[in-house]
Amino acid sequence: MSFSPLATPTGFLLPSVHSAPPFFTQQPHPGTNATVQDHWITLILGYARHRKLFVLRVEDAEATDSEWLEVFRNERINRKLLPSYLFSILATMVSKNVAIYEPPGQTRSVLLYWRLPEEWAEVLHQWAISTGQLNTILTFYEITDPPIPSPLSNIPVTLLRKAIAILAKTGRSQLITIADGEGVRLFQGTGK
Amino acid sequence: MTLRRCTKLVDGTIPIPALLYNDEELLSSQDGVGIYDGAQKSPNHQSGTVHVTTHRLFYISAHHEAIYSFAMDLSLVHQTDYYAGLFKSSAKVTLYVSISFADAAPEGPATLFESWECQVCAYRNPPGLSPAAARVCALCGVSRDSVPTPATVSSSSTHHLHTSSSLPSLHPPDHSPPAHRRQPSAIACPACTFLNHPSLRACEICSTELPLASVGMKSAPSSRPASPNPSDDDDDAEPARFIKISFRKGGDKAFYAVLRRALKSKAWAAGAPTPVPGDTPVNDANVRSGISGILRTVETSAQGRTTDMAAAFQDLEALMVKAKDMVRLAADLNERLTASSTVSATTSFSGETLVPSTEPEEATFIRSSLSQLGLEMSNTPVTLDMMKDERRWIEQLARELAAVLQGSSSNSRGMMKERGIIALDEVWGGWNRARGVALIPPSTLLQVVPHLGACTTPTISLRTFPSGLCVLHTPPYSHVAFAARLSGLLVLSGPKTAAGVAQEEHITMGLAAEMMGAVEADGEICRDDEGCAIKGGGAEVRFWGNLFHGYAWDGQTEVKEE
Repeated sequence: MSFSPLATPTGFLLPSVHSAPPFFTQQPHPGTNATVQDHWITLILGYARHRKLFVLRVEDAEATDSEWLEVFRNERINRKLLPSYLFSILATMVSKNVAIYEPPGQTRSVLLYWRLPEEWAEVLHQWAISTGQLNTILTFYEITDPPIPSPLSNIPVTLLRKAIAILAKTGRSQLITIADGEGVRLFQGTGK
Repeated sequence: MTLRRCTKLVDGTIPIPALLYNDEELLSSQDGVGIYDGAQKSPNHQSGTVHVTTHRLFYISAHHEAIYSFAMDLSLVHQTDYYAGLFKSSAKVTLYVSISFADAAPEGPATLFESWECQVCAYRNPPGLSPAAARVCALCGVSRDSVPTPATVSSSSTHHLHTSSSLPSLHPPDHSPPAHRRQPSAIACPACTFLNHPSLRACEICSTELPLASVGMKSAPSSRPASPNPSDDDDDAEPARFIKISFRKGGDKAFYAVLRRALKSKAWAAGAPTPVPGDTPVNDANVRSGISGILRTVETSAQGRTTDMAAAFQDLEALMVKAKDMVRLAADLNERLTASSTVSATTSFSGETLVPSTEPEEATFIRSSLSQLGLEMSNTPVTLDMMKDERRWIEQLARELAAVLQGSSSNSRGMMKERGIIALDEVWGGWNRARGVALIPPSTLLQVVPHLGACTTPTISLRTFPSGLCVLHTPPYSHVAFAARLSGLLVLSGPKTAAGVAQEEHITMGLAAEMMGAVEADGEICRDDEGCAIKGGGAEVRFWGNLFHGYAWDGQTEVKEE
């Protein structure tokens, strides 16, 4: 049997394996299961990047109004991802450091690292340079919700903090406490 | 003495509602009354209260309520009369009672406080119902005395009525049933010493069973005369028996109306079973009817069956003892037949026969009957006493088992002639069936099986699945061969359930599931559980070839997005 890749209404290209029913079943064989879960992680991260989604919850597998609907359900073959399976996928993702549990202390919701915090740090720095906002104090709000949409739009504050912390290690950022919260000042940097 | 004859003493210290039966209802009360026993005033009952209920008339004495209070069943009253009173004479109600009717009331007072179990439906009827209602099971409506010990209502002259009325003559004319005691003494609980009311059977506080007060009553001579006054007994001489209630404080009219109504409604008869005229209790308990009868029949037939069974098994045991002799006889016969046939074959040319009587037809007949009996001797079962040491014995057994499984060269078909895989329990059963005698225990089978490979072509080997299932299989059903075949099948005809594979391979479903589980453990196949269906979907699991092997990502890649 052969399947072919398929583009979703949102323009995402689903892999051919998404049309194979066994893809949605948790495989008892550990080797097969690892392979399938790898495919799932690739698919989830790719879709998250495509839709700019940062949070994935176990409940997303069941909710019919979820943004993940077209990934976790395949109406054409009458298959869906079971929450129990998604749960174990999330655990694998956290162990592979492509996601962290957010909020910490529970295992049903993760923050997806479709860019690692290091990559986000670079993105933030590049954005500051390109928009000429070096050496000025920026509030978190100005970064997460800029007037002109940026790659950083809607980035969760948790992730932003991690990126800023990474920049601070190389002397390219400084966290400042201002009147109504926190702000950050970005510098050109003294070289990497 | 009408009063004493037709009434029962009650303890007037107990409030009236507590004296009532469960299905009895208090209708009206009137104080300031006196009682006339016949035409004369009854000296002890001149100041009290009368209560009329649906079933009874109570008189509670005002001053000596514990001694002089009584109750009378309204069922005894067959006529009433009303006298309005004149000058100093107060209004009176006359109750004509029929004593002969009192004989038909079978309830001793003691039974009222007994709960009893219905013989038909085993419902435990609570105590406290009126005598009429208590005779009928509250659940199934079957009369109480219609089943177990028929309460033969003796119309003998004894006025006293016992609950165990089957032995009426054995009882002394004891005229003091518990409720007639003049001095009702409390019973001390043996456990907690609480003084219980005499009519209780178990302690009110700690539920300990109380010593029966009636036993003590019997031993203690009653203060009353042992038998009723003989002069009072000549029923025919006395034309009218009646008691009068004299209303000294009025209220007579209203009370009389209520009394009339109570008499008319006949509440005491409502719960009683309609007496069937021909329904006299049959002489013994052997003739039973209803469900208990059916149960008894079933019990009897079951007992009979058990006896038959035991006898049959005894026969079987006798046969077992004889079995060895029969086998020896069969072997002997077989030997002679073989000998004769070979001899006849060798000597046929010379025209002489050493054993002239054995005809070939007879020989075949004997042989066929032997085989029909399951005593085919072409391969006599190998037993331990035939062999000198155990290793040789096991090897011999392996050879025998191989013959059973694959069929000996000449005649019979083996168990595995057409089946490549067979469960060990079936092998054991089949082998022992083929042996017929000197059965092989499973442990010996397990010892023999490893030696089987050496004596079989194609090689039969043992396989144990993770679940503990053991099978014997030929090479085509080895794990590797099956896995390869299964993968091919899945590629050719698409995903399959375990049932589909079982059908394809001609093996049982459980076995197919086990074997596919083993292949899955190798990662050769993967599963699609219908539990993941969006709508519908059962618990069926379809197996697919492992399509994740060598799969290259063909979906959206991260690079594309950048």
